[in-house]
Amino acid sequence: MPDPAPLDPSPILRASAIEAGYGRVQVLWGAGLEVRPNESVVLLGANGAGKTTLLKVIVGLLPAWKGSVRLDPDDVTAWRTDRRVRRGLAYMSEIGVFPGLSIDENLRVGGQFIEKSALKHRMAELYADFPDLAHRRGALAGSLSGGQRKMLGIAKALASSPRLLVMDEPSAGLSPLFVGQVIEVLNRFRASGLAMLIAEQNIAFLDLADRVFTLDGGRIRFEGSVAELEADDSLRRTYFGLA
Amino acid sequence: MLIGAIIAGIVFGLYYTLVGLGLNLVFGVMRIVNLAHGDFLMLGGIAAWWLFTTLGLHPLASAGLVIVAFVLVGLPLYYLVVPRLLRSRDSEMLSLILFFGLSQMIEAVTTIGLGSTERSLPPRLLGVGPIILFGTRLPKAWIFSAAASAIAVLLVYLYLYRTRLGTLTRAVMVSRDEALATGIDVNFVSAVAFGISIALAGVAGVFAPFILGSITPNMGVAINITAFAVIVVGTLGNPLGTLLGGIIYGVSLMLMQTYLSSWANLLPNLLLIAVLLVRPEGILGRRVRRA
Repeated sequence: MPDPAPLDPSPILRASAIEAGYGRVQVLWGAGLEVRPNESVVLLGANGAGKTTLLKVIVGLLPAWKGSVRLDPDDVTAWRTDRRVRRGLAYMSEIGVFPGLSIDENLRVGGQFIEKSALKHRMAELYADFPDLAHRRGALAGSLSGGQRKMLGIAKALASSPRLLVMDEPSAGLSPLFVGQVIEVLNRFRASGLAMLIAEQNIAFLDLADRVFTLDGGRIRFEGSVAELEADDSLRRTYFGLA
Repeated sequence: MLIGAIIAGIVFGLYYTLVGLGLNLVFGVMRIVNLAHGDFLMLGGIAAWWLFTTLGLHPLASAGLVIVAFVLVGLPLYYLVVPRLLRSRDSEMLSLILFFGLSQMIEAVTTIGLGSTERSLPPRLLGVGPIILFGTRLPKAWIFSAAASAIAVLLVYLYLYRTRLGTLTRAVMVSRDEALATGIDVNFVSAVAFGISIALAGVAGVFAPFILGSITPNMGVAINITAFAVIVVGTLGNPLGTLLGGIIYGVSLMLMQTYLSSWANLLPNLLLIAVLLVRPEGILGRRVRRA
């Protein structure tokens, strides 16, 4: 029996009061969220709500105008992405893979900071988890189907054995069948204790969520469990499209 | 005569591959055009000439020195100008202006310092007498230069496809945004690619006196056009396409010199126009530019 987790362990990731945007256009107006160890958090929001922008600030691809990002135990607000990745953060963008590199090379690039023999071991593990990829190691990522590409994107992000996996719309461009497969795979890794932050507009991903944040107009509108989200009438109308 | 032209063309083509390779590597990784590439080649040639006339150094030894020295020049040059350039809104266009200026400066300073005379190295340094390949007699110096070029191209291939940093370099070539998102230190990868590119230009310069006959401070512009033709034919942003472009250029050049010699200097421009009209994405055809 594992020890019961403390009630509010210190978060792996804490983004507080983030303001950010592009050029002069401000997109985020004081948005913040946390992800705790072993926790899977879904950031729900419509197109244009600022999900990608918030993730980019969290991973260091876009500077925060105000606010801070902490990656336990450091304040990483001013850090470049590569330094954050070395500290156990992995980011899967909407594209997620390098189409012009082979499957094998994509995984190597994902695990670039790992020492050689450990990477070999890690890749063997990932190929065991993703047998479809193992059969085609030399194939270009660009030759894969949309669903397989997404699987490769997940495997590539996990190649560095991250503490926290941040994903931008893993459902983008996928048919419902493949969305189901992606969720199933992520559920497996969730069970193994990986902390995840998933930005989505597809509510199917709520199956994965320990906690939900909703983002609207660059502000966090709601934070709580899926049950609490479902209990709120106006949020339910917004995100579930039900009366 | 036809076979002879083709054989000589392949030999020259290997050299032209070396001339274009660095330019293409920089374009592939940074999406900028180093219009001073030909001037760095010229400086490599001047260095080889100077090292031979003052110290009696063999060109092969000079090539080693030039590689080290040019990497040491290339890295600070990268950090001085490129990151700032890449932050600008239209870095591809602005790179043309910036490196054109650098090219003019290098040419002017070299001319002021050394005069505009042609300089050459005795071909016997790279071996006396001809080598006969498939019935074609070729000077040893050509074969030697082509072999050195082939080795340099092979080393770049091994770097890109067999080393960890090389894989990261190709990842940046495929998608700079995805590379940043994956946590690749894109700035460092680019700096190394830039250093290698300048060193490749320098090595090509060391062998320039043997292949091109002589070097002059104002040769950079013509070399740039040639290098550009080679990489556009081969495919912009694909370093290995350079080999294809180089061979096509070399063979066409030799055919022109054999059958239409007075028009041979027009060749780079003709090839550029032909490729841009027929297959603007290059023969290997990966679209790398957003128009």
